[in-house]
Amino acid sequence: MTQKTELQGAPSAMSAAEETWYSGTWIDRIPQPVSITVLGALMLGVWWLIYEIEFVSQVLLPGPVETFEELWDATTNILTGGHVAEGLWITTQEVIWGFLTAGILGFVLGVVVGETRLGRKAVMPYLVAFNALPKVAFAPVFVAWFGFGVNSKIVMAAFIAFFPVIVDTAAGLAAVDADTLMLFQSMESNRWQTLRKLKLPSALPFIFAGLKTAAVFSVVGAVVGEYLGGGHGLGELIRFSAQTLRIDRVFALIVYLGVIGIVLFGIVAWTERKLLYWHKSDLLEVEGKFTAGA
Amino acid sequence: MTESAEAVDRAGHESRPVNDEVVRITDLSKTFHKRGLKALDDVNVTLRHGTFTSVIGPSGCGKSTLLKIMAGLIPATSGEILLNGKPVTGPRQDIGIMFQQPTLLPWRTSLDNVLLPIEIRSGSAAAKAHSEDALKLLELVGLSGFDQVRPYELSGGMAQRVAICRMLVTGPAILLLDEPFGALDELTREYMNVELQRICRERDATSFMVTHAIPEAVFLADQVFVMSARPGRIATVVDVDLPRPRTLDMMTTPEFGALVRRVRGTLDMGIDGGGLV
Repeated sequence: MTQKTELQGAPSAMSAAEETWYSGTWIDRIPQPVSITVLGALMLGVWWLIYEIEFVSQVLLPGPVETFEELWDATTNILTGGHVAEGLWITTQEVIWGFLTAGILGFVLGVVVGETRLGRKAVMPYLVAFNALPKVAFAPVFVAWFGFGVNSKIVMAAFIAFFPVIVDTAAGLAAVDADTLMLFQSMESNRWQTLRKLKLPSALPFIFAGLKTAAVFSVVGAVVGEYLGGGHGLGELIRFSAQTLRIDRVFALIVYLGVIGIVLFGIVAWTERKLLYWHKSDLLEVEGKFTAGA
Repeated sequence: MTESAEAVDRAGHESRPVNDEVVRITDLSKTFHKRGLKALDDVNVTLRHGTFTSVIGPSGCGKSTLLKIMAGLIPATSGEILLNGKPVTGPRQDIGIMFQQPTLLPWRTSLDNVLLPIEIRSGSAAAKAHSEDALKLLELVGLSGFDQVRPYELSGGMAQRVAICRMLVTGPAILLLDEPFGALDELTREYMNVELQRICRERDATSFMVTHAIPEAVFLADQVFVMSARPGRIATVVDVDLPRPRTLDMMTTPEFGALVRRVRGTLDMGIDGGGLV
């Protein structure tokens, strides 16, 4: 099955033409760790330059050094359990509860919508329409309904993260291969068997695409909720820092918001890799198209 | 090889027909009401035990519809299909089916894919009990040692062999093949045709294959049904009396060429205005 071709004799050196053909010009041959580092340093350099020549007022745009100092302060504050740690913990909880609510509710309802004709015909168009709305605009409504505590932020996070999960789950179930479905029909498979043994497993790439979007969106939801609804989370700290023109602190706190999102996204992506060991590139293309549309 | 095939045969084939008539289709018609399309008109077919029948016709002649009705996947508008004397009213265990795509579940190993029909019908315990049979089938199609391999590691031809095993595992009385090798490259396709002939002979199977390729239709078949379109009906039956087992070399003989020409001739007449091919 896997045949390895053994090269006979000593390998001869590549000609210059071959080398260009296989690995591109010298710029393409730079090792990735080097290119990433250089590009990062370049961006920091531009930032520092803009700061140094005061292209923008230094009050409005802090330099990289100031920002890293502030990031260091925020980190020590978190490690010693200060108010930043408290904010981080509150926002993390909001994100997790929002994500879990959206994930579970979106999955269950997505299955109901994708599995029923009524759902596909009547509910799906509404979902697509709702999905096109700027959902952050609902934040004041949720604050009015659920108050200034964590609840309104969890609802906001869940609301915004819910749509990609339900839409992708329903779409994944509907995208099942017609011939394979016919095969299951010929095996006299009942609805539950077809769902469990065919539709759900083949919809997994779609479902995980939805969950990955939800992981990012739930952070957005929580922060928007905090901007508008107060509380003690990172969003509120950022809003306050911006109002007092501590932009360096804003940047430092945004880094920690990013950490929440990246860790959650990483957990989802890791689970996906474990579960979808069978998933190969031809299906990835379908997934790619879908995430682009979501 | 033969021994194991016989063992599978004993396990699989219980219901032998009393006479050698496996399938009888009487006055079968199918109209798709939404499109107002008469897909099949008055089709009458008899398939005898151990024979191979090819169905060929222009696209839209209803040959795939006929196969799906025979499989019990869609209902007929009128007429009757008897399989081993019992009318086909829906999917049945004694009907085996195979498509152009292997339709293997990518998260399952070859073995678990082969056992799927048993697992769906009788549960995981029954499927496990049939593991030996499934392994023997994989051996029959030349895939011993590939039982724990997943579909993405298989070539197109290998995947179709697994699909053949999955079709055979319940010991069906009739094999319905819907362009089974249509997605394979020409060389693999020829090879798979030889393999299919061997497997059908070893299993003493009754087969009904829809195809687009005239040489393939002739190579495998005892009789070739040539269908005409709108409404779909069987225009001609060409009997193929070439000796078996057939070899790829036979495809260059004058006898083979004459049969191909006969099929092509009737096929051309079946197309509107003729000479479209």
